[in-house]
Amino acid sequence: MSAVANTPTTGRKNYVTAIKEALFEEMERNPDMICQGEDIGILGGAFGATDGLLAKYGSDRVIDMPIAEACIVGSATGLALGGKTVMAEMQFIDFISCGFDQIVNMLATYHYRTAGEVNMPVVLRGPAGAYGGGALYHSQMNEAWFCNSPGLKVICPSTPYDAKGLLKGALRDGNPCLFFEIKELYRKREIEELLPEDDYTIPFGKAAIRHEGTDVTLVSYGQNVYHCIQAAAELEKLGVSAEVIDIRTLVPLDEDTIFTSIAKTNHLIVVNEAPMTCGFAGEIIARVAEKAFEYLDAPPIRITRLDTPVPWVKPLELFVLPSVEKIVQAALKSVKF
Amino acid sequence: MSRESGTATAEATPIHAQVSNLRPRDLLSKEDCLEMFRQVYLARYFDVRLIKEKKRGRLKGTLYSSHNQEAILVGALFGLKPTDWISPIHRDMPAFFLKDLRGDWNRPDRIGMSIEEVCAQVWGRVDSPGRARDNWSHIGSRSKKIIHSTSMLAGTIPVAAGLMYADRLNGGDAVCITFNGEGSTAQGIFHEAINYAAVHKLPVVTVVENNQWAYGTPFELGCATPDVADRAKGFGIPGLIADGQDVFDVYDKVMMAVEHARSGKGPSIVECKTFRAYGHGDHDDDRANKYRPQEEIIAGRARDPIGVCRQTLLDLGYISAAEATTYHAEGKNASEATNEDFPPEVVDYLNAGIEFALQSPLPAAEEGAMWVFKENN
Repeated sequence: MSAVANTPTTGRKNYVTAIKEALFEEMERNPDMICQGEDIGILGGAFGATDGLLAKYGSDRVIDMPIAEACIVGSATGLALGGKTVMAEMQFIDFISCGFDQIVNMLATYHYRTAGEVNMPVVLRGPAGAYGGGALYHSQMNEAWFCNSPGLKVICPSTPYDAKGLLKGALRDGNPCLFFEIKELYRKREIEELLPEDDYTIPFGKAAIRHEGTDVTLVSYGQNVYHCIQAAAELEKLGVSAEVIDIRTLVPLDEDTIFTSIAKTNHLIVVNEAPMTCGFAGEIIARVAEKAFEYLDAPPIRITRLDTPVPWVKPLELFVLPSVEKIVQAALKSVKF
Repeated sequence: MSRESGTATAEATPIHAQVSNLRPRDLLSKEDCLEMFRQVYLARYFDVRLIKEKKRGRLKGTLYSSHNQEAILVGALFGLKPTDWISPIHRDMPAFFLKDLRGDWNRPDRIGMSIEEVCAQVWGRVDSPGRARDNWSHIGSRSKKIIHSTSMLAGTIPVAAGLMYADRLNGGDAVCITFNGEGSTAQGIFHEAINYAAVHKLPVVTVVENNQWAYGTPFELGCATPDVADRAKGFGIPGLIADGQDVFDVYDKVMMAVEHARSGKGPSIVECKTFRAYGHGDHDDDRANKYRPQEEIIAGRARDPIGVCRQTLLDLGYISAAEATTYHAEGKNASEATNEDFPPEVVDYLNAGIEFALQSPLPAAEEGAMWVFKENN
């Protein structure tokens, strides 16, 4: 279980290719693994993440499911009860609401209810996030619902390397995992990178520092990490040194890396594209307030989506979402407090 | 009841019927039939005794009585293989110990819960299979092949379907029976899951105990077809109707569905017509006597499963007229019935379970925060 970057493969890989490689490799090493979801077999997935799986592993293990998310989750629970490891794809993470009861009441609590007799190696993964004009039902980040449901691990990678390593880790974890993939990053050229040829996983609960700084800490995950990195560059020009932390997993959360950073910077901005009220940014700030209050020289600030749905056309969408500019302004306000 | 017992909306093709005119029950021995009778008594006694224990103040919590529905549990479970799975819900508490009970009730290799385990669960003690982490019927066991239910009704059907998919891949020949009330057949997941099971011809038998009342809502406000079994047409699977008061009719219909499933032909729905004797739970007993017309209650309880079974045994010559009048639980409420109304082996069996439960400790408080996640170290 090490994250050693060995000899790179020849080409740089994009995010969705990293997901796909993780699925192929785990299907190969675990004959008890099953993939199921809407259009994942014959079509190869709406975004191509499962392209070729059906041809290689057959229809017993790669299942095109009816359009019925609750059944996709419930049957995944049954497969796990029968000894299988399951990857169940939500075609868009927005659609996961149709399977909500089966996730939070059946799947998430199974290990608890059985006092540990039954493990649930089930990974629910799907494309998430806004900024693509997907409108209300193809843009959501609903991770907070699941962070508030004990028994689920919640993961949100921002790079191809993380996407592959975290997904492989999730498929071996033995607990139900909610895996939020950022569809706007799937084929983003700028973030393509070389991936290790050797098998690797990334442990949960270990944040990554994406940019080092001394004046303000910007904590985020998913595509907002890139907004934070751009904001750090802008702030640099203004003489403010920002540290960018990508938490990578929400449950479990790496508090130590955050606390260590604000011990140094004394200023905290948390950015997520989910709505503000009861969002994960609020959780991070609550933990800092409880456990690391003395490090802060200014009130922490949340930059999140407004408490609105995600509207369709570009000006509306960008208006409600976090932006580089909003982050820069918040950071300046914080350091000048 | 809107339709004759035994009418099927789409015919299952039982193996029996292909080779002879025998019904599944015709292959049962005299001993089997007498044991089913004892099991009906056992299920009834469990219900009667828990109500008495609560009245005595020795038991807390809500009771969901299976009174008048015992024939469904015994009839559906009696013919299963030990390796088959079941998924009971709140009104099926006896199912946990009835599973694989056939034969010696105390044999250690049974693949079903012991009466001790079930009583420990009822009393919320640490020796419950779930260490008393969730209440009443929300227990299960992978090793004993019982799916753990939640309060979200029909929610175990997709789990059963996925489990049977896995079993088939693993080379197994198991069948899974899920128990459901007629009210839960309105849930979306009921339809999603049976549709999926039908597409893949998964061996899932959905037994619907149509006791006419979903808490305080009558059947006709939850279902627009005369019978729940009609829902099967939409999935292209057999929908059978059984007389839920008759343990042998339930056995026939469920075994037809089980054989259909085991032979690879897919799922079925078996609707068992019955009537809920008391309230939804015992907290609802008084109100249920008001929101349901008295004549409906009297009619619904007129054919006690104990009496129906006894008459069949008499007709078959398996018991004498004298033996038929040895015990008198038939038609009696818990407040009226006494231990003398039940066969002594039934009373002894449950006594052992209750004694075990009463000496089993409560779980340690800190267990409340354990097993949220599987630990990986």
